Amino acid sequence: MPNRDYLGEFEHIVILAVLRLADQAYGVTVRREIESRTRRGVSIGAIYATLDRLEAKGYVKSQSGDPTPERGGRSKRFFRVTARGVSAFNRTHRALRSLTEGLDLLKSHS
Amino acid sequence: MRQTEPRSRPPHLVAWLVELFASTNQSESILGDLHEEFLDIYSESGVVAARRWYRRQGVKSIAHLAGAAFRDAPWSFAAFVLLGFLLRWFGAELPARAIDAILRAQRPYSNEHYDFYVWLVTWGTPIARVIEMTLIGCIIAAIARGKEIVVTTTVTAISVVIVGWNFFLHTRNLPPQIPIPWGYLLASLANWVATLLGAIIIREVRSLSLRLHSTP
Repeated sequence: MPNRDYLGEFEHIVILAVLRLADQAYGVTVRREIESRTRRGVSIGAIYATLDRLEAKGYVKSQSGDPTPERGGRSKRFFRVTARGVSAFNRTHRALRSLTEGLDLLKSHS
Repeated sequence: MRQTEPRSRPPHLVAWLVELFASTNQSESILGDLHEEFLDIYSESGVVAARRWYRRQGVKSIAHLAGAAFRDAPWSFAAFVLLGFLLRWFGAELPARAIDAILRAQRPYSNEHYDFYVWLVTWGTPIARVIEMTLIGCIIAAIARGKEIVVTTTVTAISVVIVGWNFFLHTRNLPPQIPIPWGYLLASLANWVATLLGAIIIREVRSLSLRLHSTP
């Protein structure tokens, strides 16, 4: 049932990064955004493995840019989140919020 | 525009391995991203740091891409691996039969090609087996599109462990006067490496064909 599908932890992070970057979301920027905001080392392979899975589910779409010399003559692949991706994100976010509601995590575990 | 002089080029072997393990759709953008970040680090911290970063990113990326190939479709992945072993199992006797058929048909020992006969009897079957295993690698790669290298690497890795373990079991109690059959071990390992070679050939042909079609 794809409409009940929740995002995994890393899928959640990648979708947020793509949403934040808007029309500048491609491998390098997504990786840097995640590293700078989560302080977590991420490989470019992990980003693409996740983005390809999200694309197969219809949550993101990709489009190729023009090849540039800075990239050894290779093109960028820009990603954007689809409407289905936004609803999957909201569904996951709501579920997490509902589960954490009433838990005073900051006080009990800090 | 930044120049790409020889020193500022990423490690070729790592780039090639990343290209092999990524699907044909992914490889262009992944290698482009790695190249872009490599040049940024090169201009900020020098070639040593940039190459070290590239190697680490390359290895981590290969691990993630291989893991994703299995996680995204575990059943088809397992089926491709099983297919590799089945093809090997069904074709186990084919090389020896082929050489036997050649010997019966050509009868090289009855004429002046006696040296060829000796060569064929000695090396025919091992060479035919390597060719067969290369073809098996090609068949698996042709079917397992997008994950050809990960599947054949898995088949090769499992086989190498089995071959190594069997070799250990058979040789550990050998009397000292009987020499350890290292040649047998090398031939067995070469067969499975040939499977990987077959997959690399198909992967390279696919990449080349994609490049030719995408060139305006």
